[in-house]
Order: sequence, then C-alpha cells, then structure tokens
Amino acid sequence: MVTSLSRYLDDIRNNLRLDAADENEVINELQSHIEDEFQEMRDAGLSEEEAAASCIKFFGSAALIARQIYETHSQGTWKQALLASLPHMLFALLFILNWWQGVGWLVITLGVVLAMALYGWLHGRPVWLFPWRGYYFIPVLLAGILLLYLPAGWSWVAIIIYLPLVAVLVWSVTVKTVKRDWLYSALMTLPVPIVIGWFLAAGKEGEFLKVNLEYLGYFAPGIGLSFLALAATTIAFIRLRQRWLRGILLLLSGFLSLIMVTYYSEGRIGLPLFLGLTLTMLIVLLSPAVVDRRIRRNKQTSG
Amino acid sequence: MVQRLELMKGSSESLLLCLIGRQPMYGYQIIKELEKRSQGYFKFKEGTLYPALHRLEKSGLIEGKWEMLPSGRQRRYYHITEKGNKLLEEKITQWQDFLYAMNLIIRPATP
Repeated sequence: MVTSLSRYLDDIRNNLRLDAADENEVINELQSHIEDEFQEMRDAGLSEEEAAASCIKFFGSAALIARQIYETHSQGTWKQALLASLPHMLFALLFILNWWQGVGWLVITLGVVLAMALYGWLHGRPVWLFPWRGYYFIPVLLAGILLLYLPAGWSWVAIIIYLPLVAVLVWSVTVKTVKRDWLYSALMTLPVPIVIGWFLAAGKEGEFLKVNLEYLGYFAPGIGLSFLALAATTIAFIRLRQRWLRGILLLLSGFLSLIMVTYYSEGRIGLPLFLGLTLTMLIVLLSPAVVDRRIRRNKQTSG
Repeated sequence: MVQRLELMKGSSESLLLCLIGRQPMYGYQIIKELEKRSQGYFKFKEGTLYPALHRLEKSGLIEGKWEMLPSGRQRRYYHITEKGNKLLEEKITQWQDFLYAMNLIIRPATP
C-alpha cells in the first residue's frame, strides 16, 4: 500500500481508542475500501500519488472518522455499566452497613475483586474491568500501611524499598490502561484523591498515614456516600458516547466528591488541604493523558 | 447542495437498509450502487458511510460478515437482519405516505 495511505490508516487507528480486536476490524474494513477506490482511480489513469491523494480527500479527516466510529462503539451496555460500578457499590455497602470492621467482609470483598479481575482477564479484558483494576492496589496499600507498624527504624527502611516497587507497579498498570484509552485510566484512578481525602480526615493527629478507627467509624456513612457517587459516575461514564463529556464528568465528579469529603470531615480538612487534594485530583486524572501523549509521540518517532 | 445533504441526513438509515435489504453488500459497493441507482443524486461520503453502517450494526438492524474472495482478499459484507427488515417495511410505508402527501400538495388533482 502507498505510504500516504498507510499513514492515513495509522492516523485513524491512533485516534480510534477501541479494543484491539474492534480496531483491527475497523481498519481492515477501511483498508479494503481504500484499496478498491485506489484501484479504480489507477484504472482511470491517475498516478499512484494522485490516486492516494484523492482517496484521502474522499474519506475526509482521519480524526473525524475515528471520532464518529468511536462514538458508535464507545457506549457500553447497561449490563457493562452495572458491572463496572459494582466495586464502588461493594465498598459503599461495606461502609454504609458498617461491615468494614469485620475481617470476614473485608476478605470477602477482596476475594470478589480478585475473582472479578480473573474473570475479566479471561474474557478479553472488557471495558467494565477498568474500575476493578483500581482496586488491585488495595492489597498493596494495606501492605504499605502495615509497614508503618513495624518497629521504629525498620518501617522507614521497608518503605524506602516499598515505594519504588509501588511506583513501578502503578506505572506499568497505568501504561497498560492508557494504551487502550487514557480516559479509562482516569476512571480507574478517580477514587485515589477521594481515598486520600478520607485517610487525611480520619488520620491520627501528628502521625503520618495512621488512621484513627474511631474517626473512620464516624465518617463511615460519608465514605459510603462518596463510593456511591463513584458508582453513579462510572455508570454515566460507560453510557456516555462523547469523549469530551466523559472527561468533564470525571473532573466534575472528582471535584464534587472532594467537596463532600471536606464537608463530612467537620473541619479536619481545611482550605489548604482541600486545595492540595484538588491539585492531586487534577494530577491523577490528567497524568494518563500526558502518558498517552508521550507514548503516541514515541510511536510516531519510532514509526 | 447543503439542502440535499440535510435531506440525506434524515434518510441515510432508510437508504442503507433499502440497499442492503435487496442483497448483502460491502461499503465500497454501497457507495457505487447508491450513486448509480439514484442517477448521481445521492452521494455518500466514504467517511460518513462507515459510522452509519456501524450504528446500524450496533442497533442490530444489519450484520457484517467477512467473506474471502477468490483473490485471497477479504471483504465485509453487510446483511439485513430480521429486525432490520421489519424497520425497513415501516420506513417504506412512512416514505410512501410522505411522498403521497407531498404530491397532493405539489401536484394537486384540482388546482
């Protein structure tokens, strides 16, 4: 195939952001059409360059075609939307019904997360799996908190080893998710600033990252409510077609959830902390877009 | 030309269903056939055809199937589904009623 046509199809592929299987199907179909069109023009006496330029002109903007096809495929079903929101609903129930204090319920919840992760993995990593992926980090987070309770001196040594390992893990999961669509990556990380907010609200005074269980119990209904808000956001996200609407939804939901955390914290989160959390939210939600841009630029340079 | 495009926007679904309803077709063939049958009046832009076809497929009105040609190349043929046939029948009735009413106004039997 002529280089300009291959580049044109690559442009469409880069903007599609669909499942790899769907992407291949769309590109193969467009390629088949372009080949027919190209051949017709060559038979009519046009040179290769002229025929290729005409094909591209007939098809129109690569970004526009990709966007229109994306919007046709992007809307998830209600079943997918409910499945995607399920982890947030489970955690909402855990706090609203005060089951979070029972080790049994925590183990069951973690078991469900792992089982769903395995199920999703075996079923071609569907779109509903992304919010579940965010919960993969819970065991990692719990391990980090337990390290804080090691004897003095040892905890810092452990944390120095632990933090780079976590960074590598977060980076590899983010890159894998971003390759599909950075917006899904942002959906996956949306709970992060909210969870940090609750940690700070329920934190022991003067002790870094140590949680006062009494406070946690007191804030439990608020925590449950914020997880319900995350579930509602996830359902809306999966059902929306347009990328720009999905982006606005995530930013709005993150911001409103942080206001909710601040309100329920009854003064334990002041304005500076709220602003810090908002900044964290922006970094967490927008950094996948930066990673995506970098990956695409590297791909273009190497291509 | 702009008016023609506006008219086509509302009827593109019916046009595609009508063509695919007669015989299974692939994208390039649809564009050529539409232009030929309408004597050049309807010209589907390549870039808008596929989003429209995929929308119809997503709604379960048509189904795309890859078929291997003797040359070894593959083409995606669209077939109308039962749901698509039902909708097509409804659309044809709607269009016939519309055209009949339009004719009554444009070309009245009694002036």
